[in-house]
Amino acid sequence: MSSTRLPRSLRRTAVATTSAALAAVLLAACGGGGSGSGASAGGPVHIKVWAWYPDFKQVVDQFNKTHKDVQVDWVQAGVGQDEYTKLKTALKAGQGAPDVVMLEFQELPTIQLTKGLLDMGKYGANADKGNYVSWAWNQASDGDHVYAIPVDGGPMAMMYRADLFKKYNLKVPTTWAEFKEEAVKLHKADPNAYLTDFGSDETAAGWRQGLMWQAGSRPYTYSASKLPNIGINLNDAGAKKVYDYWGDLVKNKLVDTTSYATTDFYNGLSTGKYATYIAAGWGPGYLSSVAKKTAGQWRVAPLPQWTAGGNDQGDWGGSSFAVTTQTQHPKEATEVARELFGTSEAAWKIGIDQAYLFPLSSPILNGAYFKQKKYDFFGGQQINSVFVPAANTIGSFDWSPFQDFAYNTDTSEVGKALQGQTDWSAVNDNVQNQVTSYASKQGFKVSK
Amino acid sequence: MSLLRQQGPALAPSSPAPAEPLGVRAVGGKSGRRTSGLSARARHRGMGLLLIAPFTLLFLAFLVAPLAYAFWLSLRTSTLVGGDHFSWFANYKQTFTDPQFLSGVRRVVVFGVVQIPVMLVLALLGALIVDEVTSRLAKVFRMTLFMPYAVPAVIGALMWGFLYSPTFGPVNSLSHALGLGKVDLLSHGLMLTSLGNIVTWQWTGYNMIVLYAALQGLPREVYEAAKLDGAGQIQTALRIKIPMISSALVLTLMFTIIGTLQFFTEPRVLEPTASQVISPDYTPNLYAYNLAFQYSEFNYSAAISFSLGAVVFIGSYFFLFATRKRSGLK
Repeated sequence: MSSTRLPRSLRRTAVATTSAALAAVLLAACGGGGSGSGASAGGPVHIKVWAWYPDFKQVVDQFNKTHKDVQVDWVQAGVGQDEYTKLKTALKAGQGAPDVVMLEFQELPTIQLTKGLLDMGKYGANADKGNYVSWAWNQASDGDHVYAIPVDGGPMAMMYRADLFKKYNLKVPTTWAEFKEEAVKLHKADPNAYLTDFGSDETAAGWRQGLMWQAGSRPYTYSASKLPNIGINLNDAGAKKVYDYWGDLVKNKLVDTTSYATTDFYNGLSTGKYATYIAAGWGPGYLSSVAKKTAGQWRVAPLPQWTAGGNDQGDWGGSSFAVTTQTQHPKEATEVARELFGTSEAAWKIGIDQAYLFPLSSPILNGAYFKQKKYDFFGGQQINSVFVPAANTIGSFDWSPFQDFAYNTDTSEVGKALQGQTDWSAVNDNVQNQVTSYASKQGFKVSK
Repeated sequence: MSLLRQQGPALAPSSPAPAEPLGVRAVGGKSGRRTSGLSARARHRGMGLLLIAPFTLLFLAFLVAPLAYAFWLSLRTSTLVGGDHFSWFANYKQTFTDPQFLSGVRRVVVFGVVQIPVMLVLALLGALIVDEVTSRLAKVFRMTLFMPYAVPAVIGALMWGFLYSPTFGPVNSLSHALGLGKVDLLSHGLMLTSLGNIVTWQWTGYNMIVLYAALQGLPREVYEAAKLDGAGQIQTALRIKIPMISSALVLTLMFTIIGTLQFFTEPRVLEPTASQVISPDYTPNLYAYNLAFQYSEFNYSAAISFSLGAVVFIGSYFFLFATRKRSGLK
């Protein structure tokens, strides 16, 4: 308890009145010189990498052991938005960015647009095209321009509690219509239980987008080589179908609406409040870490379909390695991005076993080791026999170069609908209007 | 705590401030004895400049330069694909017609109108009680009230986020036990109240200490005189103590108003848990932050920051002007 603490006002004014610019300058000052990953005469080139994969250290060690001329210096620079904020600031400041950076797919066009990403196509990355599932490669590249190397993906599926399904005599739903029937049945049997939780918060924006992806919604038509044109269609039939459906479940109190990012949600997963968790290929790792005590009870089933017998899939999340334009060693950095995981079985074994990453590298994805791996948490089920076929049938998808704005707008509008301030049927139209107006102001030529 | 008590007299309006004049006198006395007037004064001035140089450098580098840079940024417009150009005051014009910015300002004003009086009354009550009770209990009481201020704002907000949790937070269990049913403290209707509670919890003790220090500086004879005149404890508090510490009250009020206009930490921390309620434009400061770091609108964000700074500056100036008699400023 010190009496020398600055008064609240001083501390706040110091940061706040100039928050944007001051922070930019300070961050630049702190990060300055960081990219000086120079090659000392004769020694190996050091490449600085920002990434947040769990157990990534082992992968880095594996890389450094097998490479002589290039060594990786790994920095954990924060997860998701935290890292992007640092990266955007460093790019804006002109210094302080790493050589190689982990980016989620939806963030790639945004960073690419600010001229932050190196075209690895010039350094031979196109040779890897055949090694990846096509929808993933398309998201990371634009024709022969390669802006990132895919690492992991998030094909969606439904995880469910086998014990609860048995207890309440529920049927594993194969269509969304059946899903609603089971939701009614469960909630009737136990008013404290829900078939699932509707991710209404910002961290679940990708989840909602994945469900719309499955429903055939393609909100953007975008290519960096066709600037300033962009197609924005956030209120197409697929998108509307999804919010009409979930809005109906929410209104009838058949699903919960707790934020995905809260302890309440983890708690719900481990106490049986939720009988299913609709998630992605990385979901098993997440689930087994937050709901340890339910080990052995969970199973994985394909994502319910809109039409019986259909096979439509969506993706939620996934990441890649990109090289920033601030790198002094484009060739070596490209090599790192391509080979940290790449098709290396040793690296992928760590990624799969320790970090629950879902590989997008075709030989690994379709290889026997991954497909046949049994998971104790899922009662010994070979869960990838569900995820791998899903991953192979996901359709192509373009992201916008202002995905943060689009996700925030969507979250706000969903929030309004949840609070009863707007009708669910208006959500997509409102998002469409706001995003279109933002894009026009940013200088894009918007078409539908 | 002893440090704080020593601070008391310095803050009090009626007692002389001891530390500062002493230092000045010592230096002044020495130079007075010198005979070679002009050159000595010049040397003296050179020495002074040298001594304030480190401060000046830091001040320029970390306050003036970033401010100038931010101002320069705010006069330009750079779009994602349109390029970058000088746009004079277009960003400022947009700021004051931006419904998102204005609704944020309105929100913090509504918030402040309720939260500030509640907190300051609590702080004043606490200070009066602690000032009155001179037992060991007072020390404990003082410590306990001040404790939340020692907790970093981010940690405090995180902690309350857990306490508000609708499924296993104690607040909700309590309302359940009282038969009030489920209360979602993170919902649209209750969010401002919940935030107000966090801020009040965090800052009441701090304000109390400031007021308490001022109370400690009051001459005890005045109380005796009041007692002789037949004033009770409540009358003494209302007619003697509160008027005499009005400058400290103005000070705390001013700090609080500034802090409220810059409301950021608590909504920012609760944003992930309640992003359906706390929108990116919930408070003007949060809006400026999100514009810069999520939407890459650095220019507009700088304009908003500057506008907010101007509002705070002009607001505080008028507030001090209006209360100049009480604040002791002439």
